[in-house]
Amino acid sequence: MKMKFTADIIIGTEVHVQLNTNTKLFCSCATKGEDIPNSRCCEICLGMPGSKPLVNQKAIEYALKLALALHCKINPDVIFSRKVYFYPDLAKNYQITQFEVPLGENGCIILDSGRKVKIERIHLEEDPASLIHPAGMEKSQYTLIDYNRSGIPLCEIVTAPEMHSPEEAREFMNKLKIILQYLKIFDENVCVIKADANISIKESGYIRSEIKNITGFKEIEDALLYEIQRQKKAIKDNEKLIQDTRGWNPDNKTTIRLRTKETEADYGYIIDPDLVKIDITEKFVKDIQKEMPELPEQKIHKFIHTHKINEQDAKILAAEYILAELFEQIAVEVSPQLAAKWLRRELIRVVNYNKMNFSQLKIDVKHLIELFSMIEKKEITETVGQDIMNQLIIKQFSPKEYVEKNNLKTVQDIAQLESLCKEIISKNAQVAQDYKNGKQEALHFLIGQVMRQMKGKADAKALKEMFEKMIKDE
Amino acid sequence: MAILKGQRYYKLKLSIDNNNYQEIKMITNLHNHIQAVHNQSIDIVEYTAKALEQAKAINKEYNYFTTISEELALSQAQNLKKTPTGRLAGVFLSVKDAICVQGVESTAGSKILKGYKPLFNATVIQRCINEGAIILGKTSQDEFGFGGFAVNTEIVPKNPFNKDRVTGGSSGGSAGITQKADFAHLALGESTGGSIVNPALFCGVYGLCPTYGRVSRYGLLDYGSSLDKIGPMAKTIEDIASLLNIIAGHDDKEATSATQKTEDYTKYLNRPVRKMKIGIIKDLFGDVFGDGVDENITKAIYKKIEQLESEEVICEEVSMPITNKYGIPAYYIIATAEASTNLAKYCGIRYGAADDLKSNYNEYFTKFREANFSKEAKRRIMLGTFTRMAGYRDAYYTKAMKVRTKIIEEYQHLFKKYDALISPVMPMLAPKFSELEKLTPAQHYMADIMTAPPNLAGLPHINVPIGMHNDQALGLMLTTNHFEEGKLIQIGSAIR
Amino acid sequence: MQIDKQLVQHIASTARLQLSEQEINEFIPQLKEILDMFSQLDQIDVKNTLPSFHPILLENVTREDKIKPSLTQEQALSLTKHKEDGYFKGPKIL
Repeated sequence: MKMKFTADIIIGTEVHVQLNTNTKLFCSCATKGEDIPNSRCCEICLGMPGSKPLVNQKAIEYALKLALALHCKINPDVIFSRKVYFYPDLAKNYQITQFEVPLGENGCIILDSGRKVKIERIHLEEDPASLIHPAGMEKSQYTLIDYNRSGIPLCEIVTAPEMHSPEEAREFMNKLKIILQYLKIFDENVCVIKADANISIKESGYIRSEIKNITGFKEIEDALLYEIQRQKKAIKDNEKLIQDTRGWNPDNKTTIRLRTKETEADYGYIIDPDLVKIDITEKFVKDIQKEMPELPEQKIHKFIHTHKINEQDAKILAAEYILAELFEQIAVEVSPQLAAKWLRRELIRVVNYNKMNFSQLKIDVKHLIELFSMIEKKEITETVGQDIMNQLIIKQFSPKEYVEKNNLKTVQDIAQLESLCKEIISKNAQVAQDYKNGKQEALHFLIGQVMRQMKGKADAKALKEMFEKMIKDE
Repeated sequence: MAILKGQRYYKLKLSIDNNNYQEIKMITNLHNHIQAVHNQSIDIVEYTAKALEQAKAINKEYNYFTTISEELALSQAQNLKKTPTGRLAGVFLSVKDAICVQGVESTAGSKILKGYKPLFNATVIQRCINEGAIILGKTSQDEFGFGGFAVNTEIVPKNPFNKDRVTGGSSGGSAGITQKADFAHLALGESTGGSIVNPALFCGVYGLCPTYGRVSRYGLLDYGSSLDKIGPMAKTIEDIASLLNIIAGHDDKEATSATQKTEDYTKYLNRPVRKMKIGIIKDLFGDVFGDGVDENITKAIYKKIEQLESEEVICEEVSMPITNKYGIPAYYIIATAEASTNLAKYCGIRYGAADDLKSNYNEYFTKFREANFSKEAKRRIMLGTFTRMAGYRDAYYTKAMKVRTKIIEEYQHLFKKYDALISPVMPMLAPKFSELEKLTPAQHYMADIMTAPPNLAGLPHINVPIGMHNDQALGLMLTTNHFEEGKLIQIGSAIR
Repeated sequence: MQIDKQLVQHIASTARLQLSEQEINEFIPQLKEILDMFSQLDQIDVKNTLPSFHPILLENVTREDKIKPSLTQEQALSLTKHKEDGYFKGPKIL
């Protein structure tokens, strides 16, 4: 089938997501644990003769959740096939996957631009083992194989070639990741997302290259950007492009040809006779639907209409599952607008500063509520609040007790503040004069001096007004 | 279960050797033997030593074993001496090589699995061990079950009645030792396309292939996973029923294990057969194999049909045109397609034989597989790889799966009216090794014309020995509907 | 069915078998005879028939997502000589 493309760039992806089940797809070995090679395997995931696979019910439920979240049509049967190819990372030299009928078909993800990216199919399969090439792939005389990964459940999501830029591909991946987080079927700290991406450009008449095994969202964008440049250059240099499969080298940010279409393997799929079909009944789908959490789109809608925060804040909060959860819990205790502002500015700031991701965050929501309500009631200044936030991300403590113990409440005594301001003006007469002459920065210096003495416990806005009035009146 | 190691084993062996166990008179009747073990009127350790001795002597002449598991057997006997319990207490069990026994080399008759000592017991083995069975050893077979004469392997078993003839296959070793063992003995065979009833016929013993899924396949080295079935082989139909009682039943380790309730199959023994209806598959007595079915087979079977009729069993001729025409091709397409994927895993890395890691993975796998698979294994891998290739898959693999449905329907239609079907097991009597050499592979495959269809349809079937023609055993095959093993026992025990 | 050397070699390489010249010549007529026999299926109409991937009805067999003990590393590696530092050793890729 020849597709009719018109866009400058055509991108499609096949994304492989490790599902966060306790056990592997076809055996009861743990999916995570200590970093000891071949310590989480058994006769089944090692492909020992005589062993037989048994499907993990949870993996089917997780994949079904994802298919529903991506608006897929759900097929009535789950059927597994054997995809036969020989490679040292495959315990049986075939991979158990879904071929004839995928779990879900015809779904979509909607990009910020409003464009829909079609999901052609989503199916379950087993992860191969991991290979180590002790002296690099080119020089090694053998490989080392760790079967701990062998059999971990993967969900493969295949899109139609409907993305038009590397940025869109990255956005698609991000959107997918957020949905996975909401569904709690993916643990960012343990599970891996990998993608194969195919890309073609108008200039070549859409002769596509497929880039295999890219890990990380930035890498996907980089690989695609490189590939566009490579293809454009080839056209410019009058080279003939041919359909091929390429590998991404993240170290030098280039792709290299692995094989051309002609040598594509014949997988010789058959229905796996060791496994039986599993009915996805309407009742089963309904039960899963009942368990489905609110998804980002629903959250954004709720944040805007129920919590009355602005659209931009709503989108940012909804884009991190944990942030959205925190927001909903905090917004019933303090003003949603204040909660939104502090979460999206200050919490994100400290998380980024500490080079963490949100799933690593260990913060007690009641501590955040204490902190935000003190800010809301102006019991502490924003400066003090920021300082507490900096610490709260490292260790858990009660901000309320901390403020009391360290006497950090905002000084409300006007007379005390006024006398301090006067003292500062007299010590810095030239600075005050500069301000009078129109130098705005001079005022910041003066406020800073008071703040330092007050250990941040003064309301900067009040100080500003006080200084303005004093200097003007001088 | 502890296996005796090193010193303890040799000490035990020495004490047995010093005893004069050669004087022991073995008990051949299963029931009497089990009773003697239960009431400790015999020393099962000495009996085991003697059984091992006999098995070794038979093996020297007939090649029935790939491994005799002496250490395991003696350690089991020791345990049994202390706790003499179980429905198979002290019964000696020979196991087709394709069935995993923990710690005992299990190669499915293949060079490529040399040294593979499974880390686990097959479910059937565990069940037998739990009932006190003593594992005598692993029996010779066609490599991975690829053959009907047990000649496609390095250790070729010989017919117990004439060493120039074949045992039949693929469970040849299990059938042969069952005929020759002069002690309380049972065997496990495995059938994909006839590998239980075929050698049972040639060796003159009973062999029952149960319904697909009735007996767990967990721990069976696969040939065609949608076809493979483990079943009992024994000298008497009573013993067949006893062993089936233990191995049949659901196994939650295996997805294709049937959940239907099991029965006490011994209850069917000698149950009246009056008014039962049997269909005689008349096409299979005709000109199916060039010169037709050996007339001695036809004569012998019709004599037994007369006997049944005299007991008021209603016997009528029936025809199965679809089954008999398409059974063989559909069976071989499905069996080889599945086998070629099941055998992909054998590549010399994780277990079994291995080469030095010099070349890259493609060369390594290719050379290793070329050197370690027999010619028949290669032929079937080639066939199976071809029939599932893109472009051919629908015409062969998928079509064969649909033809299977047609064949099951043809059987089901007959089972609405008949309790069982009767036919020969094989078109010929046990051939000589020299006679086989004249056949092409396709002709070899055609010899499965009677056994492939019930296997393809997953139906239970049994070989009932019905005497000898000179040095060749005679038998007939009964086939019943899914999960009606009981009727096989009932009718089988009525044939005398 | 046309069976020639090229097809036999292609099937063999897909199945990772390296047939000798002699084996190939032996296999060509044998496979031809067998595939001719397989082609008998062309004569039966199965348009309205569903495939039976198993001979009996089997469905909905799954297991709980409950961890059971794995083999120890030593056990996992106990059946091969190809091992190093807790890893299996396999042939190189390139």
